[in-house]
Amino acid sequence: MAGIQQIVPSKKSAAGAASRRASLLHRMRGQKQLMWMSMPIVAYVILFSYYPIWGWTMAFQNYRPAKSFSEQEWVGFKHFAFLFSDATFLNVLRNTIAMSLINMVLGFVTAIVFAILLNEIKHKLYKRTIQTISYLPHFLSWIIVTGIVANSLSVDGGIVNVLLMKLGWIDGPVMWLSEPSYFWGIVGASHVWKEVGWNAIIYLAAITSIDPAQYEAAEIDGANRYQKMLYVTLPGIKSIVVILLIMNMGWILEAGFEVQYLLGNGVVVDWAQTIDIFVLKYGLQVGNYSLATAAGIFKTVVSISLIFAANTIAKRLGEDRLI
Amino acid sequence: MGGARNKGGRMPLVLALSLGLTGCSDSGSDNMASTDGTKALSISAFINTPNQAPTADNRIYKKIEQELGVKLNMEFIVGDLQQKLGVMIAGGDYPDLITADPKLVSAGAVIPLEELIDQHAPNLKKHFAKVWNKMKDSKDGHIYWLPNYGVISGEYLTTYYSGPAFWIQKDILKEAGYPTPKTLDDYLKLIRDYAKKHPAIDGQPTIGFTTLAYDWRTFPLLNAPEHLTGHPNDGGVVVDNAVASVFADKDMAKRYYKELNGLYNDGLLDKEAFVQNYDQYLAKLSSGRVLGMFDQHWNFQPAEDTLVSQNKIGRTYVGFPLVYDTSIKDYYLERPAPNLNNGFGISKDAKDPVRIIKFLDALMDEKYQKLLSWGEEGVDYMVGKDGKFYRTPEQRKQQEDPAWKLANRADGFFGAVPKMEGTFSDGNATSAGSQPEEFYQSLKPEDKELLDAYGHKTWTDFFSPPPENPVYYPAWQIDLIDGSDAAVANKQMTDASLKYLPKAIMSKTDQFDSVWNEYVNAYKKINVKAYEDRINEQIQWRIKNWSSK
Repeated sequence: MAGIQQIVPSKKSAAGAASRRASLLHRMRGQKQLMWMSMPIVAYVILFSYYPIWGWTMAFQNYRPAKSFSEQEWVGFKHFAFLFSDATFLNVLRNTIAMSLINMVLGFVTAIVFAILLNEIKHKLYKRTIQTISYLPHFLSWIIVTGIVANSLSVDGGIVNVLLMKLGWIDGPVMWLSEPSYFWGIVGASHVWKEVGWNAIIYLAAITSIDPAQYEAAEIDGANRYQKMLYVTLPGIKSIVVILLIMNMGWILEAGFEVQYLLGNGVVVDWAQTIDIFVLKYGLQVGNYSLATAAGIFKTVVSISLIFAANTIAKRLGEDRLI
Repeated sequence: MGGARNKGGRMPLVLALSLGLTGCSDSGSDNMASTDGTKALSISAFINTPNQAPTADNRIYKKIEQELGVKLNMEFIVGDLQQKLGVMIAGGDYPDLITADPKLVSAGAVIPLEELIDQHAPNLKKHFAKVWNKMKDSKDGHIYWLPNYGVISGEYLTTYYSGPAFWIQKDILKEAGYPTPKTLDDYLKLIRDYAKKHPAIDGQPTIGFTTLAYDWRTFPLLNAPEHLTGHPNDGGVVVDNAVASVFADKDMAKRYYKELNGLYNDGLLDKEAFVQNYDQYLAKLSSGRVLGMFDQHWNFQPAEDTLVSQNKIGRTYVGFPLVYDTSIKDYYLERPAPNLNNGFGISKDAKDPVRIIKFLDALMDEKYQKLLSWGEEGVDYMVGKDGKFYRTPEQRKQQEDPAWKLANRADGFFGAVPKMEGTFSDGNATSAGSQPEEFYQSLKPEDKELLDAYGHKTWTDFFSPPPENPVYYPAWQIDLIDGSDAAVANKQMTDASLKYLPKAIMSKTDQFDSVWNEYVNAYKKINVKAYEDRINEQIQWRIKNWSSK
């Protein structure tokens, strides 16, 4: 009985698959040009994204650069075990996640608020000027930005200290960069300064696609300006926000490297060191490539899991989703 | 942020592909080189000092290109060297000439040089004859690097001092009637007194003492204690009777940092000392308001150049060999030892190692040594009736101008190649700075006045003459071997020092001891012994293998 039952659907599906294959081939032939055009991209992804995965084998060896693959010494999960038993790494993991979350939340909130506020400005030239000024810092490299930040926060005539002292909020200059508890905040604020304008662009674009009729209808219903923002604009860009949130989940272990490396110093190291800096110090600088790879794999696995988790949650909530 | 990076990740597809293509054609350009020596050979070189790139029509490089048929394609380090090398090794792509680092040997990135030198490079062979055995790698006996400094030919002349010392502004000495500080206490008193009298310099608050602990330049903070106790510069260890031991967490170090703690609480230690990067450090020194620091002269030389070009001679520095108390003899000035694990090696990617070694050999000829060090005769220096080289005042002035140097000197490259030090066969010093008459003539009036007041002829006269080097000296050159426990321990020790020392120095006076204890405890968790063992093993190895020669 069971055999027959199984055979019947499989026959059906085989036939279905055959016809599907035929139609797929047919479709592919019909879209020949598109297929050709996508080839370079596929090749690029295979070459630069999939082929390097082979290098993950390094994480399970005591990798030495001069030796061939067969000569490498295999050590299993030794490097992973080292990572998770090392107090520094756990500390570093905390810093990475914390700074990443701060950056993400701050980044989202400020960009959305900024976009909505900017949208309310009706004077064209004024609006454009503000927008241009706000996204220009995006094009500066971190090394320049951290230089600006370090100079502004200097106790030696840095603008932040001067300003706060003029306002009477502090008595003497504060050593911002050598106080561990300020570090995360400084990193978050630097990110906001650099990226808020740039991140707002996509929301501004989303806002323009909202049907003006909705605003008119809201107006007829007696909504004031703030109510329109809250009940028309925000829901209008909700799907974009969710998609971006899902995409950004993948970067949660990428708190960045440059900012922390360039602004950090020995005094704040317990709060400033991220996974990437740890990998640089104990992987690349002492020539322990296997450890660096192990940390990289860990990051990848966590990131992929987070993306899928976020995607599933979005699905449950009935939102648009990425995958 | 995340979103922005996402977008950036996909967009530059075309860019990436085109870069890949140019990358290929780039490495192909070496093929132009032919062994017959007629066509110009392009040699790529990676140099580990952060020089500015010379101008495109730099006079000296142009001359080298015309006469030796070699076009140099130099890349100078930006940022962290170990990171750069790590990436280079991971990618397996090397320039022809590469800056020395043990990491590259273990990665198989460089080729052994001894046969090449034997067969094609008589000048190099002669130059390195005295130190040939020391240049051999302790693991396999091959020679991978051509040391750039420390091989002396002829008579060794010292005038300029480039090593470690406690530096103090010349104006302070002048105002105090040219005293000679011998101990740390003398020195700090000078600084305290001057800072009290001059709370501001050129309108900006005076900084009594500063230090630097940035990137690999941690020696200004970490190395002082070994010198204060009369040890020479062995890096992270002091060596007594051929036994090395770490000192960073010992009482001999505590005493120094306690003094800094005192300075800090008096408001005389630069508040930003532990936060600043190298550029900020140089900028601060260039402003002329830092009274003193412990450092090696070459490390802050760019700042002093700026001070000289602003004609603030009184704000430049004199180095003193301080000790804890007068019963200790200073050992700052050292006899030159070959700068092992420094200079250039030839990478396995080099298309034509023979021509490269021939090129380096040609540069070892006195003719080119003079060109690289003194410049062109009649343009950069004159030859007196007695055959002695000298410079005219205008020529000296030019040599102080950083912008002029980028167009007319080959300093970036010359720093990394093997060079003659001492005297040429005609009796002239190998550099203008060490030619005694030229040195004295080149001094600013303020400097002459200062040296005269002390009865000294040169800057090195402030230091005790160095004893003969122990055969294993210096220990800081010992290769810790990549990925070994010793290398990891070394990293952890530096990290611990950079974390706790600033904390201790910036603590309240009565809390210093408790922070210090935290530091010592952090040190106990590190495998310091692995580090010491590696150094001691190599010291013994050197004693055994180097003693005969």
